[in-house]
Amino acid sequence: MTPSWSALYGLYVREILRTFRNPFVLLVTVVQPFMWLAFFGSSFSDVPAGLLQELFGTSNYIQFLLPGVLSTSMLTVGMFGSMSTIQDKRFGFMKRILITPTSKGTVFVTKALGSATRGLVQFPIMVAAALAFGVRFHVVWWQWGVWVLALMLLATGFCSLFLAITASSTDWQTPGVVSNFITMPLMFSSAALFGSSHFPAWMQAISSVNPITFSALLGRSFVLGTPVDWTYLLYLTIFAGVMLTLGYLVSRRWLKVE
Amino acid sequence: MADSTIVVRNLSKTYGNGERAVHALERVNLAIPSGTVFGLLGPNGAGKTTLIKVLTGITDITEGDAAVAGFDIRRDPMEVKSRIGWVAAEVILDDDFTARENLWLQAKLQRLTDWESRADDLLRYFSLIDRADDRVSHFSTGMRKKLEIALALLHQPSVIFMDEPTIGLDVSTRRMLWGIITAIHKEFGVTVLLTTHYIEEADALCDRIAIIDRGKILAEGTPSELKGRVHADLVQLEVGVPVDPAALSAIPGVQEVRAQGNDWVIRVASSEEFLPRLLATYPAASIRRISVEKPSLETVFLDITGRRLGEDEPIRDVRRFYAQMRRTRQ
Repeated sequence: MTPSWSALYGLYVREILRTFRNPFVLLVTVVQPFMWLAFFGSSFSDVPAGLLQELFGTSNYIQFLLPGVLSTSMLTVGMFGSMSTIQDKRFGFMKRILITPTSKGTVFVTKALGSATRGLVQFPIMVAAALAFGVRFHVVWWQWGVWVLALMLLATGFCSLFLAITASSTDWQTPGVVSNFITMPLMFSSAALFGSSHFPAWMQAISSVNPITFSALLGRSFVLGTPVDWTYLLYLTIFAGVMLTLGYLVSRRWLKVE
Repeated sequence: MADSTIVVRNLSKTYGNGERAVHALERVNLAIPSGTVFGLLGPNGAGKTTLIKVLTGITDITEGDAAVAGFDIRRDPMEVKSRIGWVAAEVILDDDFTARENLWLQAKLQRLTDWESRADDLLRYFSLIDRADDRVSHFSTGMRKKLEIALALLHQPSVIFMDEPTIGLDVSTRRMLWGIITAIHKEFGVTVLLTTHYIEEADALCDRIAIIDRGKILAEGTPSELKGRVHADLVQLEVGVPVDPAALSAIPGVQEVRAQGNDWVIRVASSEEFLPRLLATYPAASIRRISVEKPSLETVFLDITGRRLGEDEPIRDVRRFYAQMRRTRQ
């Protein structure tokens, strides 16, 4: 079945507009990055600069933390994509969509890309917040674009994963439960908050295949101006591609209408 | 049938399998002529909504065939979907969008390129043009219903499915909607398949009606043809003394006697002639309640099914009932 570009565009715009027209979502989107950096970022403020340099490769922990927090945020946007899908099922909007010549696969793709885009809204806000906290960026101009692309790939992968897991659910609680189940292990087994070199061997093994690690390390190399390992971008592309394909197939077969 | 917009042949829909199977539709046959308002009349759980779900491609067919607007719903579901409109029982719009944006989204979903002038015409037709750029969350129920019908008409469909369109509406909004349904059918030349469990709604709006119960079509025809099936009056009787059905049947003019709970439903050739004979058999003091109904769609339904439209069957196995409800919603 060929995708309908017209429906794809319409539903994608709907996802974006719904976000920007909800003042509460906007407020949380703006405030949350500041809270992350203020509370978590300040937790090492009294640690001697030399020790920070040794542990994190920089004397400013927020500079180290920022790419990790951005990557972790992309993990949580999947939950919102699932919740938005369940809302459409419960309020009958999914039925309205699928009574038109729009396939379940098209609905899935728009939900995944819409949620991923929504997650990227935090990027400029987080960068502005980091600047306000005194972070200095060593990012070359074109690297900003690559960084956004990497985050988009990560978010697309996680949104697809969430949507695939919750395709047949109509229960409001499911996305939250799934999120609780996978967010913490993925976040703490990644290099998002701390460098993985101090992890035990088994956690290092998990961290080395964790997509959050790829995104965090790629972003960190941009922020700190250290050499870039481009294989991380390749891994993120594979992760997004595999999850998008998997989610598309699952949705075509199992996406519940109501 | 050559000029039928909807043709259904031996269509069955079963949810689940084995002992837990729920037969929502059983060997349904229908041919709905083009340009008519066709009503599916039946109680809750009769299979009306399931039939609409099958015909709109929302759920699969278990057995049989169906074609809408000349396209087989299994082979060409997208062709069918581009030729149908849908009005839900509950109003389903995007509340974050304006009326015009809802029409825009519908145009995108229906892959329309030139839709603006048609949308304006519809907004004008439904007296919504002055509120076109207001968010629909600020609309009254009547306005929301009108907009929903405008969405259904935007791509000039051959058929509009209306699933209990007036359920939960107040009397004045319901009357307004009846006027709209009659008008759009005439002005836009669409075939309307409407489900309802309101007798008066089916009688007022439909050119033809099919009575559906427990997944089966029990009768079909124009309202007059259906009423003509019952060449009798129905007398419903509650008596305070034991009743011998044989004694009731022996009263001249009685065609049939049926027990219905504590009541007796008696089919008689003429209630005017029957009642004096009844009172001669049972003293007036022993009769607690008596009602007479002349032929109507209500009596047609009662005559065919043995119960009134609003009377659901008692739930004997509550766990099984909820399990079936869950499966039916899937």
